[in-house]
Amino acid sequence: MPLLALLILVPAAAGLACLLARSLRSLAALGVLAFSATLGLGIALVRQVLALGVVTEWHGFLCADALSAWMVLLISVVSLASAIYAVGYLRRDLADGAVTERRFREFYVLTPLFGASMFLVVLVNNLGIMWFAVEATALSSVLLVALYNRRTSLEAAWKYIILGSLGLALALMATVFVYAAACKNNTEPPPSFNWSYLMGVAGQLDPRLLKLAFVFALIGYGTKAGLAPMHTWLPDAHSEAPSPTSAMLSGVSLKIALYALLRFHILTTACLGTAYSAHLLLGFGLLSMCVAAPFILVQTNLKRLFAYSSLEHIGIICVGVGLSAPLAVFGAVLHIGYHALAKATIFFAAGNIHQKCHSLELRSLAGLLKTMPATSALLVLAVIAIAGLPPFGLFLTEFGIVAGGMGAGQILASVLFVAALAAVFSGLLIHVAHLLLGTAKKEAAGPQTPVSCVAAMALLMAVLAVFSVWLPAPLLELLRRAAGIIRGSP
Amino acid sequence: MNPPNAETASNLITLLASFMLVLQLLLAVQTMLVTNIRLFALQSLLLAGIAAVVGYAYGAWHVYVFAALTLIGKVFFLPWLLERLVRQIEIEQEVRPLVNMPASMLICGALTVLAYVVARPITSLERLGSNTLAVALALLLTSFFLMINRRKAITQVLALLTVENGVMLAAIALTTYGMPLVVELGIFFDVMVAVMVLGILVYRIRESFASMDTSKLNQLKG
Repeated sequence: MPLLALLILVPAAAGLACLLARSLRSLAALGVLAFSATLGLGIALVRQVLALGVVTEWHGFLCADALSAWMVLLISVVSLASAIYAVGYLRRDLADGAVTERRFREFYVLTPLFGASMFLVVLVNNLGIMWFAVEATALSSVLLVALYNRRTSLEAAWKYIILGSLGLALALMATVFVYAAACKNNTEPPPSFNWSYLMGVAGQLDPRLLKLAFVFALIGYGTKAGLAPMHTWLPDAHSEAPSPTSAMLSGVSLKIALYALLRFHILTTACLGTAYSAHLLLGFGLLSMCVAAPFILVQTNLKRLFAYSSLEHIGIICVGVGLSAPLAVFGAVLHIGYHALAKATIFFAAGNIHQKCHSLELRSLAGLLKTMPATSALLVLAVIAIAGLPPFGLFLTEFGIVAGGMGAGQILASVLFVAALAAVFSGLLIHVAHLLLGTAKKEAAGPQTPVSCVAAMALLMAVLAVFSVWLPAPLLELLRRAAGIIRGSP
Repeated sequence: MNPPNAETASNLITLLASFMLVLQLLLAVQTMLVTNIRLFALQSLLLAGIAAVVGYAYGAWHVYVFAALTLIGKVFFLPWLLERLVRQIEIEQEVRPLVNMPASMLICGALTVLAYVVARPITSLERLGSNTLAVALALLLTSFFLMINRRKAITQVLALLTVENGVMLAAIALTTYGMPLVVELGIFFDVMVAVMVLGILVYRIRESFASMDTSKLNQLKG
């Protein structure tokens, strides 16, 4: 079975089918079905990758190694949860008049296309097509950000698309530089522009051009991944988008751009050694964490609070990769997954709160534990997870990154890392304690939260809790290999 | 392995590339939106011309495909689309750029010099004369300036497109055969869709703000 092709085609086809579908019910069903199918395909892919090492299709046009398989798994899980969540969430938005029927349809057409383009990014072998796919994730999600058509959401969408496209133009420049580096001394074009080919000839690439390419990729894909100081679009877009989209943006889309950047890191490492690109990643990662911390401490809007927390976590992952110690890189790879699960849950909770209380201002929200117990309980667990408290896995991965850093002798970086973590930790806990405890300002008027909205959260938290304490052997092996790929030892 | 007419081709390309830069400078000081769009179309025409010259001189047929795509997309289709948008939203002129005209000219000049300085260590790598890569970087830098300096959404879209022109010029300058065909097609498709999506957004911004002045998009902070 052509697994890789199906992973891309199934959601793309679902998006097109939604364009034709008549009833609103069938739209929601199509979304859930498509992402259930990709989850099944993703699990099958993991098994194949574990058995074969690398899976290729269409004469090497599509190619999956352990790192791509891990990303495929995450995209599938978060997108599926988001599709389940959207069933109740959007129906209620439609009933409240927050979206028109046309926008409702737009959501169901664009979301599977967004998913398909993310699958394409991680599965395609050609650098140019990978760029195309990253741009496609931006283009398919920008109208989702603008879905509510409020003035603020249009502003957010405009910033997102302009900054994103500008960043991606620089990433295209990086792609051009790599291509030029590959055809250094002969006038014939290189036989192929695939990662797998380039990795094989990494030693013969022009180091000057490759250095330039990595810097352009860092700024370019870094913009899309939300690295500071190119992150300014991130809190706007993630807070203005409808919650299912926020979850996909924060949970996976940021990491998809980061994945593209990691591929450049892997290639640069193979050519120039670790120091060059790892140091840049480490610097930008620490900067992102330090920039996020004050904004979290003084934040007034619930969704922006968690958007800044995503910025911090992207920083954590970059620091982990940048430290390039085995333990730290493994921690970073695992952290991508744990953060995706926890952050998606949190944005679902924020969506429930918004629909019930019609506000996201932290000042006007309090005492939610009484008015919406199920959402609040799950929110507390997810916030404990992203704040890095045990028993959740994010404690383990962050600890792993610090330990790896200390072990590698990067004392200053590790201390900064811990300081930023501590600041974010206190910021998150203060805000969430206020949100949940306190006395309710007024009786929340909205009706009960739909079942699917709580079910999606519970599903993700259950997965997170289970995998926090028990990583099955095949998954562990997959992660080991993914970390090995990033560290340049196949 | 240089073709016999490589030198002529290289001179011609340098000439066309410098015209691209001149058009970019005009774009930086011109405030009429329709004129700006036509300047961009002309610049893209020059890019297509460069691609055609390269294709002829080096016998690379697929650079012709790139030239044709640029001609169809950036010389005819996108300018037509953008002009239609300008007519629909009835805003013709850029008012109050952040920096006035003489100062913009000076800044763009300085950015061009900077591009030449930055490009110097890597000009030995390009195969088309020694100016093309510097011009490409100058296009990039001045487009960034254009984007910061202007408030109208349409001008920002144009700036984005000129960045793209710069990147494609760099691609031809560094390799003489552009990117692989499938990648060219992907880029072409993405740029077309991007401009359409941007058009939709401009239209919706115009509807709800009664303006397309992006400096009014300032509610989201902190």
